Amino acid sequence: MKPRYQNRIELLQGTLDLLVLQTLRWGAQHGYGIALAIRANSGDILQVDTGSLYPALHRLERQKLIAAEWKVSENNQRVRVYRLSAAGKKKLASERSRWAQISQAIAGILGPAGEESEA
Amino acid sequence: MKFTWGDSDKRARELNEEIASHLQMAARDREARGESSAQASEAAGREMGNSGLIQEVTHDQWAWTWLEDLLQDLRYGARTLRKNPGFTMVAVLTLALGIGANSAIFSLVNGVLLSPLPYAQPERLVGATQYYPKGPLVVMREQSHTMQLVGMSDNKEFNLTGSGDPVRLIGNSVSADFFSMLGAQPAMGRTFRNGEDQPDKDRLVILSGALWEHRFQADPNIVGRWITLEGVDREVVGVMPADFRFPSPKTELWVPLHLDPRNTGDYWGDSYMALIGRLRPGANLEQARAELKTMRPLVLAAYAWRMPDNSFVNTTIVSLEEAIVGDARGKLLILLGAVSLLLLIACANVANLLLARATTREKEVAVRVALGASRWRILRQLITESVLLSLLGGALGLGVAVYGLVILKATLPADTPRLADVALNGQVLGFTALLAILTGVIFGLVPALGALKVDMTAALKSGGQRSATGGNHRASKMLVVGEVAVSMILVIAAGLLVKSLWILSGTSPGFRSEHVVTARITPNELFCAVPGRCLAFYDELLNRTRALPGVRDVAAVNGLPLGGGAEIFPGAIEAQPTPAGAHVPMFWEKIVTPGYLRILNIPVLRGRAFTEADAAPGAQPVVIVSKTTAEHFWPGRDGVGEHFRPAWEKEWRTVVGVVGDVREFSITQNAASWIDGVIYTPYGPHAIRGSGAAVPPAEMTLVIETAGEQAQFAGELKNTVASLNHDVPVSQISPLRSWVAEAMAEPRSTSALFAVFAALALLLGAVGIYGVISYSVAQRTREIGIRMALGARRQEVLLLVVGQGAKLALAGVAIGIAGGLLLTRLMSGLLYGVHASDPLTYGVVAVLLMFVALVACFLPARRAMRVDPMVALRYE
Repeated sequence: MKPRYQNRIELLQGTLDLLVLQTLRWGAQHGYGIALAIRANSGDILQVDTGSLYPALHRLERQKLIAAEWKVSENNQRVRVYRLSAAGKKKLASERSRWAQISQAIAGILGPAGEESEA
Repeated sequence: MKFTWGDSDKRARELNEEIASHLQMAARDREARGESSAQASEAAGREMGNSGLIQEVTHDQWAWTWLEDLLQDLRYGARTLRKNPGFTMVAVLTLALGIGANSAIFSLVNGVLLSPLPYAQPERLVGATQYYPKGPLVVMREQSHTMQLVGMSDNKEFNLTGSGDPVRLIGNSVSADFFSMLGAQPAMGRTFRNGEDQPDKDRLVILSGALWEHRFQADPNIVGRWITLEGVDREVVGVMPADFRFPSPKTELWVPLHLDPRNTGDYWGDSYMALIGRLRPGANLEQARAELKTMRPLVLAAYAWRMPDNSFVNTTIVSLEEAIVGDARGKLLILLGAVSLLLLIACANVANLLLARATTREKEVAVRVALGASRWRILRQLITESVLLSLLGGALGLGVAVYGLVILKATLPADTPRLADVALNGQVLGFTALLAILTGVIFGLVPALGALKVDMTAALKSGGQRSATGGNHRASKMLVVGEVAVSMILVIAAGLLVKSLWILSGTSPGFRSEHVVTARITPNELFCAVPGRCLAFYDELLNRTRALPGVRDVAAVNGLPLGGGAEIFPGAIEAQPTPAGAHVPMFWEKIVTPGYLRILNIPVLRGRAFTEADAAPGAQPVVIVSKTTAEHFWPGRDGVGEHFRPAWEKEWRTVVGVVGDVREFSITQNAASWIDGVIYTPYGPHAIRGSGAAVPPAEMTLVIETAGEQAQFAGELKNTVASLNHDVPVSQISPLRSWVAEAMAEPRSTSALFAVFAALALLLGAVGIYGVISYSVAQRTREIGIRMALGARRQEVLLLVVGQGAKLALAGVAIGIAGGLLLTRLMSGLLYGVHASDPLTYGVVAVLLMFVALVACFLPARRAMRVDPMVALRYE
């Protein structure tokens, strides 16, 4: 049902947005391509749920962080291709530093505990 | 219309294509890894999940979803309503009646009770709950730190002479700072200045906008002109704007109070008036009340004579609105209560219709839930539908309200306070809209929640429409019971009022009203100040009138019964001296010419009526008393031969006769509760006047006994008066019967309104029972068919169905009686001669309601009786 679905999206939202923006830094890409790239780059750990990916893409597009256009792929198929906008690049930079802070903070919390268990 | 960013349709198509291309790419990759084409596309699809849902959620990222949903719901709702025109019509009409009646009564309540007075800072305006003479006003005006107090007389009449035909105008005497206290500005000229209510400075008048326009042709040079009012020349100093209507819309002019302490009787004893004022900055109502109490001894000490110790003890200060509206408040609130009960019935009815329909829509709801619609979304859809319904009802109800209000204003007595302020305005429109939406949510919620409780699998599995509907049906039965109960309460209330009216019209007012025509003759007070002039005038007028064709006899009286106006005076009884400091008995003055008692058929019980000789200048002063007065002061004695005098006289007067009681005060009361007796004196030098004046009153009312019912001599009467004195206006020439009818206007209008509410309640209640029983018969067609196939007789089926309805009705009636006993006590002030728990009324109404309920059941029962078992069993 819809409400539950929405909850799942919201849970992933911040992170997923960051991953999408990061993936698009290497060039324009269609939705399927983005999903594959995230999976490959995470060493098959992160599986992007299609039900989350497309709402995220369209949300980012509405926020003008990415832009979309129709292109014809090498397989002669019409695909919708997304690329990072100038605003998206800025957003990516700020999100990355935020992410770095958060992971540092979390690592800071987890770190001593790890040392304790080693000791 | 789409409420999304950009083109919604295009986006939906593209999204579809985007998802499709994703699937294709995924499938191609799988094929490349060696899966078969069919396997690949199936796996890709499975991996993706519900693509329709993904599209929807993605699409939502772009949409102002709630608005789009709302529009969709509205469109869907409108379609559903169009598909069921019968249902829609019944529901909308029911709601229109309920909402319309409420809007009409609300405009009344809003105009009379809620809307602030149209003056500066209306919340600071206050009024005293009792009247005071001029002296106390002056004392308190100087003492009060909490209020700026002004005096305002009741409506008085003024003869305007010297500019065209003599006319009678209505005006009020007011303190000089009356207008500045209210913060009212004149349209032309000025208002009164401080000190202009003192003698010799008060020959001024301010005109109302309407009087200026109609009587003075909107003369732009009116300010500064002198006009003659009651024989006194007054300078017009100002004209008020047309929308200044205080104290009443009838007011045509204002003159300053004449504050002359040298005229002791007038200053301290007579000319009681309303005290109104404005709270001074920083003061509040509580302080004003406390101050009024502390000022009371000062007021009593200032009196020229000793007042009873408890004088003015029950007076307090209230907001001006409350002081103006007074008794009308209770009645209006009762009306509002009644009409909201009516709306409850309407709601129950529509909720019932929806419940019945919800059952047939179970499957629709189940399918939508199965397809992934959230319950919240469905609830919203159902509520939207019912709100749509109630908004339609509200729109139509506004039409009902417009006409209802016209009828209402015509039905209510013209002296209902602030009736002129009542209108359908923005507030009423807002109220109606709010009411409609609220109504829709309330009556929509029950069936909608019921619909959501549906067991999805059961509803989907059972092929036909007959799934378990016990819950819904129980709810609809409860609604019907409630509906009958509420109808019962309304019909009981109407029954009590109608019975009151019936008793009231059956009681004799103590005089006859057939074949009597009345006419008011109003010379100036100054005209009668010359001794003997008024006596000669009326003597001649009576003689000439008696000679008119169609006239049998004629007499004159200072004021008609039924509140036609009379003055009160303090008196003394020889047999019962008043102890010092105790309350002096007050008497109602009746000043009559000798024929009065005979023409009005007021029986002389003991002693005799007045004769011409009693009125003669040298005659021994005598009085006549009413029966109750005699019983009160001389219990167990004859009354005739006893002695009485007005408080200011020395000589005792002899009682020569005792006459029957007359409804002097109102249709329900002989005399106000604070009046101890009624004293008749003959028109002449010995007439007792409330003001203590030694001359007989100038204004008198002729009572003319006629051969026919109609007054055909109005023109001749006017000519007769004009030939005697062309400055004396004649007014209100009308049959005495219409005067009596007017006195009944208030109880009649209340009864009429309640009767209409009750009739509507009965109708809606009947429709409600009919609906539920019909529906239940339709549901049980198969069961009835089986019973009949098994040998049940038609009468038994009839009894079965009618019995089911009767049980509901009986429960409703029982609850209604209990509710009625609780609620009708609130309206005991509106009843006359009947107790709020009158068993006869309750019984009759219970029988009536049961009868209506049984008739409403009978129609569907007859349908049930005619069920063909074969058809019924094949059905489904």
